[in-house]
Amino acid sequence: MSDPKDFTAGFDSNARKAPVRVAFITRRTSPQVKVADEDQVMTHPGVFFRVAVAVELLTIALVALALAWDAPLEGLADPMHTPNPAKAPWYFLGLQELLHYFPPVVAGVLIPTLVVIGLIVIPYFNINIQAESLWARDGARRLRIVAVVALALCVFLAVFDVWVALVPTVVIAAFMFVAARSSAQSASRMRRWLYSKTLSFWIMTWFLAEAAVLTAIGTFFRGPGWSWVWPWRS
Amino acid sequence: MAKSLTTYLDDLRDSRVWRSIFRSGPGQSNLHHALVVQSNVFLHLFSVKARKRVLDFSVTWYLGALTFGSFLVLVITGVLLMLYYHPSVPLAYTDMKDLQFVVSSGVFLRNLHRWSAHAMVLLVFAHMFKVFYRGAYRPPREFNWVIGVVLLLITLFLSYTGYLLPWDQLAFWAVTVGSNIASAVPVFGRHIRFLMLGGNLVNANALLRFYVLHCMILPLTAIFFIAIHFWRIRKDGGLYAGAPTTVAEKEGER
Amino acid sequence: MADETKKEKSDGGEEGLDRRQFFVRVGLGSLAVAGLGTAVFGYQFLSPNVLYEPSPIVNAGKPGGYPPDSVTLDPATGIFVVREAEGFFALSAVCTHLGCLTAWKPELGIIACPCHGSKFNRDGTKITGPAPRPLPWLRMWLSDEGDLMVDRSNLIAAREFVRI
Repeated sequence: MSDPKDFTAGFDSNARKAPVRVAFITRRTSPQVKVADEDQVMTHPGVFFRVAVAVELLTIALVALALAWDAPLEGLADPMHTPNPAKAPWYFLGLQELLHYFPPVVAGVLIPTLVVIGLIVIPYFNINIQAESLWARDGARRLRIVAVVALALCVFLAVFDVWVALVPTVVIAAFMFVAARSSAQSASRMRRWLYSKTLSFWIMTWFLAEAAVLTAIGTFFRGPGWSWVWPWRS
Repeated sequence: MAKSLTTYLDDLRDSRVWRSIFRSGPGQSNLHHALVVQSNVFLHLFSVKARKRVLDFSVTWYLGALTFGSFLVLVITGVLLMLYYHPSVPLAYTDMKDLQFVVSSGVFLRNLHRWSAHAMVLLVFAHMFKVFYRGAYRPPREFNWVIGVVLLLITLFLSYTGYLLPWDQLAFWAVTVGSNIASAVPVFGRHIRFLMLGGNLVNANALLRFYVLHCMILPLTAIFFIAIHFWRIRKDGGLYAGAPTTVAEKEGER
Repeated sequence: MADETKKEKSDGGEEGLDRRQFFVRVGLGSLAVAGLGTAVFGYQFLSPNVLYEPSPIVNAGKPGGYPPDSVTLDPATGIFVVREAEGFFALSAVCTHLGCLTAWKPELGIIACPCHGSKFNRDGTKITGPAPRPLPWLRMWLSDEGDLMVDRSNLIAAREFVRI
């Protein structure tokens, strides 16, 4: 590290007089370790003014939207008459699309619960904290595991006819295959970038791709009776 | 003019009345700027200093701040809309028509509220993905990530409860479908649905419960968790700026 | 070049504005305009344009339904319909003290308020009590169908009778 200090370190039995904190920083688990000193600015006005400008710009954009487009309002609620199709707001459309394939227990309760639990536990798993490539160690064995899992997932989705969810799974699996076959010394920058990605990156990107595809399907490709429509034809 | 505006403001800030309210007094020194933050009950949630790197746009895209900004717009427009809304059937729907045609600026406020709601849901998801992809959830920030997931759920529930309030076809059937999904929870499903709706059907009781949830319970919960979220940022060492030299960088990955 | 810009900044207070002062003024000015606009629109938003309250105009029915020389209270609308020799007139039955509904006492020939003891004559003038003003006369007229119409929001000062 730096030049040796001209004092001796010791332990005092009086914890109040000489408080001791010992931290073991294991390799690549804490984001703070390497930086010795940092440029700092005062929160006021440095942070506050920048945030104020950002929020002001957002408000201007929202006001412009509000002046240009009216929020929808349909007819009075009528328990006797269900509109067709009855679509949820866009952030639930992905879920509603899943409901088309799986029973409500699975699509409405099980999957969202698993997603939430999955999100919560991310930072408590070591493999998500380490920032090293998924293929850095044990590359061949890990590729075999990924292949098996991807295949099982594809079979499961095919069995339930969830063809739309199959597409992102296959795409992501293909990219993972390319990443496994690359290295930090690969010729193209793309392959080097793919190689460096962690397991948590791949899982989250798969989840993001699935959510985007399912939401897009629910928004644009579903018509009356939740039947398939081609948006450019209707 | 002989004295500039800044001198007038400085004199104001130096006055006895001002000093009795805001202790910081006039001045542009770092001490003064530090006092502005430290001696304010709301602002001292934040640290006095921040790492400069963190303020670059490319680091966070300011998504967290924008999410909070859209929340503020929603609270303000929401409170104003509450003044012309009766949470009863079928007055709720006629009130929506009133807001559209009769109330001055009614259409604007309702539109602003609706689009800000969509924006907030979009921004909260974007914020979550940005935090994930730059690794800002890693220790010591893991619990703040959990608080963030909680805030995501609160945002979705706020949006869902607000969706029913116009009492139009869209609202009614969206909630009918949603409450039926809730009843699919094993063992407790029917009870959850009964409590949620205040009955067996989506009717006046359901509207009132969703109104109280949307305007009182969930916003208070959100503010509670937002305060914790900001506090944890500070106590975990400030916003994560990404270490400038990592082993990954040395190996030429980025 | 640098010297010239330095001089511009330093003499900004005496002659023209320097750039910073200009932008400060523009900023504060636009803030003031925005604040004023918000205040105006806010006030307009907060004052309702439509009220869901009963109309102030009351249909008191046919004049024949009132006996000569009578004082009739309609508690639902809070008016007295009075028929005297000179014709009809209408009084507000709301006590001018604190808003209680007054009552006609035929045995005493007065209008009395139960809340704090104000007493009025049948023409609205005050006899005694804490009420500050007499009971006001209300505009009354005959409709096309021959009904007595009273506008509770229209107070008249003069003693105008509706003759049939």
